[in-house]
Amino acid sequence: MATRTQLSDATALDLPEAPRWRTLRLLLSKKIAVVCILVLVVFYGAAILAPWVAPADPNEQEFTVEAARAGPSAEHWFGTDQLGRDLLSRVIYAARTTVLFTVAVVITGGLFLGLGLGLLAGYRGGWVDNAIMRLGEILSGVPVFFLMLIIRAAYRERTNDLAFWLKENTFLGADAPPLVAFVIITGVAVPFVWVGLARIVRSQVLAIREQEFVLAAEAMGISTPRLLIRHILPGVMPIYLVGLSASMAGFAFVELGLSWLGLGVDPSTPSFGSMINAAGGVRTFEAFPHLLLVSSIPIIVFFFAWNLLGDALVDIVEPRTYRR
Amino acid sequence: MSNRTLGLMMGAVALLIVAVAVVFVLVLAGGDGDDDGDTPASTTDRSDRDAGDDEGDARDSGGDTSDSGRSSGGICGENRLVTFGDDPATVFDPIQVGDASTAEYTAEIFGGLVSLNLDLEVVPDIAESWEISDDGRVYTFFLRDDVVFHNGRRVTADDVKYSLERAADPANFSPTVLDYLGDIVGVRDKFNGRADDISGVQVIDEYTLRIELDEPVSYFLQQLTYTVAYVVDQDQIEDDPNNWTRRPNGTGPFRVKTFRPLEEIVLIPNDRYHLGPPRVDEIVFSLSGGSLSTRFQNDEIHIAIVPAPELAGVLSGESELAEFYRPSPQLSISYLGMNLNEPPFDDPLVRQAFAHATNRQAVNEVLYFDAFIVADGILPPTLPGYNESISTYPYDPERAAELLAQSRYAGNMPRIVLTFSGTGGDPPDALQAYQQQWRDALGVEVEVEAIEWAAYLRELRRGTLQMYATGWIADYADPENFVGKLFSSDSRINHSNYENARVDALLEEAATLQDPEARYRLYHEAEQIIIDDAPIIPTFWAIRHYLVRECVQNWVDPGTIVPKYRFIEIDTSGE
Amino acid sequence: MSQGLAGYIIRRLLWAIPVIFAVSIILFVVLRLAPIDPIDSLLGVRYDEEIAERLRQKYGYDEPLHVQYLRYFENLFQGDLGVSTRRLDFSVEEVVIPKVRVSAPIGAMALVLAYVLGIPIGIYAAAQRGTYRDPLTIGSWLFVDAIPIFVIAVWAMWFLALKVSLIDLSYEGVFHENIILPVLLMSFPGVAGVARFMRASMVQVIYEDYVRTARAKGLRERTVVISHIARNAFLPMITSIGLSLPAIFTGSLFIELVFGIPGIAREMLEAIFVPDYDVVIGFGLFTFSLFVLANILIDITYGFIDPRVRVEAERGV
Repeated sequence: MATRTQLSDATALDLPEAPRWRTLRLLLSKKIAVVCILVLVVFYGAAILAPWVAPADPNEQEFTVEAARAGPSAEHWFGTDQLGRDLLSRVIYAARTTVLFTVAVVITGGLFLGLGLGLLAGYRGGWVDNAIMRLGEILSGVPVFFLMLIIRAAYRERTNDLAFWLKENTFLGADAPPLVAFVIITGVAVPFVWVGLARIVRSQVLAIREQEFVLAAEAMGISTPRLLIRHILPGVMPIYLVGLSASMAGFAFVELGLSWLGLGVDPSTPSFGSMINAAGGVRTFEAFPHLLLVSSIPIIVFFFAWNLLGDALVDIVEPRTYRR
Repeated sequence: MSNRTLGLMMGAVALLIVAVAVVFVLVLAGGDGDDDGDTPASTTDRSDRDAGDDEGDARDSGGDTSDSGRSSGGICGENRLVTFGDDPATVFDPIQVGDASTAEYTAEIFGGLVSLNLDLEVVPDIAESWEISDDGRVYTFFLRDDVVFHNGRRVTADDVKYSLERAADPANFSPTVLDYLGDIVGVRDKFNGRADDISGVQVIDEYTLRIELDEPVSYFLQQLTYTVAYVVDQDQIEDDPNNWTRRPNGTGPFRVKTFRPLEEIVLIPNDRYHLGPPRVDEIVFSLSGGSLSTRFQNDEIHIAIVPAPELAGVLSGESELAEFYRPSPQLSISYLGMNLNEPPFDDPLVRQAFAHATNRQAVNEVLYFDAFIVADGILPPTLPGYNESISTYPYDPERAAELLAQSRYAGNMPRIVLTFSGTGGDPPDALQAYQQQWRDALGVEVEVEAIEWAAYLRELRRGTLQMYATGWIADYADPENFVGKLFSSDSRINHSNYENARVDALLEEAATLQDPEARYRLYHEAEQIIIDDAPIIPTFWAIRHYLVRECVQNWVDPGTIVPKYRFIEIDTSGE
Repeated sequence: MSQGLAGYIIRRLLWAIPVIFAVSIILFVVLRLAPIDPIDSLLGVRYDEEIAERLRQKYGYDEPLHVQYLRYFENLFQGDLGVSTRRLDFSVEEVVIPKVRVSAPIGAMALVLAYVLGIPIGIYAAAQRGTYRDPLTIGSWLFVDAIPIFVIAVWAMWFLALKVSLIDLSYEGVFHENIILPVLLMSFPGVAGVARFMRASMVQVIYEDYVRTARAKGLRERTVVISHIARNAFLPMITSIGLSLPAIFTGSLFIELVFGIPGIAREMLEAIFVPDYDVVIGFGLFTFSLFVLANILIDITYGFIDPRVRVEAERGV
């Protein structure tokens, strides 16, 4: 950690190349990272463009003995499931579920709460810091997954009612039920995901604040928002991105696990969790291996790409500052 | 402080933390005896299990317990049946049992005046014989004098009276007593707190008991075979009112050796069983573990069950398991119910249209590999009184569309929700398939919704569900248990709010008749009327798909719960 | 020092009390306000209004929520955790303790295994820094970590149990060979995490002065790595071990479901669906208290070693 020295002169205020750009440049110089980014771009692209990319309606059944559980063919590249639905389309739509969920969690829990509260705690200190960190401590102790189970399971009826009300009374129409289920699982996940990120951000802010240029800026009376945005945020960003990318697989797993248990997104929305569950156990895997392979490999690749990317980022952003 | 010293200390502390954790865990795992010495059934420690005070002699014959599954002769090498089971939803208290999973064990541990044999006929158990008065209202039971509880105490008519009164005691909250014993004079009074005893049950002498009914009920003996009428030991219950169900002192062929929820139930024989003691040394019901068919294949268990969607994998051509396959038709039916009080199902034409639009055969073929029987009626084929002349609405999409067009709701179909009990996620594949069939044939979009089991039961009871997916398993083998319990207008479980005066009259008349053939005729007439009115769409009669090792002899699944394990023998000769 | 530390511990413990109460209120309210009723599941299809009413009185569900809450704590302080409505006459301890005795040893074994495998892998990767072996080692573990546990379990069971009949799938108790596969699979994400963490810590230490000194003294590379780098890199792991401890007791829901292990996670899953109020709340408070205690323990161990850290700990890092 940098030792505090006497403030020499104001030139310390001139930052070198902003750390985030340096991070990106270094990242792109790594082959493995580029491959990961490409894989993720394809995944996210297919997911976002699902209605245009998917070859068929993911819920359309071809309900005959011949058409159901068919292996990959020219017509169905990934084969069909037990109801004779096109698995490629279902995979693409399931990717959309994963992507929407992770993006929603990152924006609300990661960016808004994680970064925001972390900055606040680190910069303001005092009781604000104490309150935020204590809240985080409490939240990280609650068995999150079980709380989600309770809310998803016990409140299902209320959720159904709300979805129906929205469907009848608002412009949402048929989109209401999936949206409600989606908002709920995101809403339950968010209060818990920010804690880890906020801790990382906070300790980084504390470290930066001790550096000369910030002390100088403070001494010069630069306004708080300006100081945060111009000086502290750039210093926090690399480590924040490391934390975020390391957490991405974890975020996605929340939805995957809940859907596997049958407590995730609305049934009309394909999800990797419910597809993996439907692909069944050992015997079904033996008889129809493509069901499990096709529905699990895309999500494994997704997790792996994020893991590798996170690891590559750790290497780039100084390992010395990397905690936990 | 130098980095080195710091390192040493931190390392030591880390080791300490790990050590504390390990010790804590070991203490927790091994801490048997003191804190729950009175409930050995709930400990998980193996040493406790082996040293249990009810140790049978199975261990001696089987050799070392640690590799019992893989001893020399494989699983057929010892006289110990290892099978699967369901986690009991309640405890082994006969009057609390309302579910099939618990009833399976309760039927082996306890016994009542009468019992069902493997052909589902009423046979003597504690009662040796009985007389029925000419008006069908008074039953006199003559008890055997050699029936004892597991602890050796002789069973007398007083025990039977105590057990029935205990069932009706309002302090015991039995959910089943009114359904099965409510016809006995005085049971309702006792249950409602208006009487201290059941006036209709009289002890004549030590081994004679008289039971009087409000009305003649032709299936009363059938009802007496249900668990709520089983005999329990007053001394044990009064000595230990809170814990007696862990090791109940019943009169059945087996007693409980261990019960560990979610893990296993071990039963050992009652060697003094009056109808002939069991032939195996021990039965292990495994409530835990992975894929049953895989464990069967690896010789870990004698009996496995295969869920329908896995059948293709197990029975495909080259599978070595096909030779062990034993399908067993069940006394149960699954169906889709429609609520006659809710639009659009208050219009019979709509109900008939849905029935015609439902392609059950396709679902059976595509999803279940033909594992079930499409229900062409309500009474299952193995039920006494089954009649094959009954027929349901066949799959006919054109006719379905026609009927719908003639209905009151043609063109203004309200929202339809099909509710099922589940934890959510994807609805059962079958419901999704029906959804598609109705969409194709009728142009109607039915929403499928899961709600929690508890909430589902509540809504069924209130009769608010518009359309629901459910099933029924026979409590006793009589047509009344299906046609009467599900469709008489005053039944609590008539969830479709079905009401037909003719059906009610037929059911009432049938209840009073003694001659089976005459009764069955009335039930058949009622059954066909019900099907034509279409308050439900019968879907499948279940078949359970078992794998049974060849060394297990006299194994049979009669399709409902009857005491059956005492007949099983294991051929240890090693064929 | 001891004066300050004791004061600190007391303050932490005092602070834990309102926190635990707050969590209990949240749990209580979330559960009790849910639109499902344990009496419905208890009575099943044979629900009778009168029996239901009597049962509600018996369990006290007919009283206002705050009265029930206060009574719950009154009983709690007398050592009475309540009863399970799902398993009629079983007390909460009787339902929970046998299950924890299944889950905790499995969780502990998986945790120990994660460190036993993860630390050497991390050391190896760090020592091989700069060669292809480092990314290959870490990368392959990252791949294993990327496979959802309920997928890898199916593959493992299919191959090991069905194809080569190497393992059995019956649950035969915690200390039995059949438990090896579940424990191994359960430790995999941990192995990947520990290996990565260990490697990062190692890399961090590599540039410290004393390591350079050791190298300069001409010590063998092996000695340098093990006695100088690894030992110091091991330090930051205390927190992560400490934080993993409470998780031992909550069990792994997915592993228990896939392998049919009669552990606490499965029991809780079923208890939630009923819902079995006292069991869910009792177990929720138990795990949360463990977590709070583990946090305090970590802080104390830090405080013992280095008073400087105490200040940090107080600020909540």
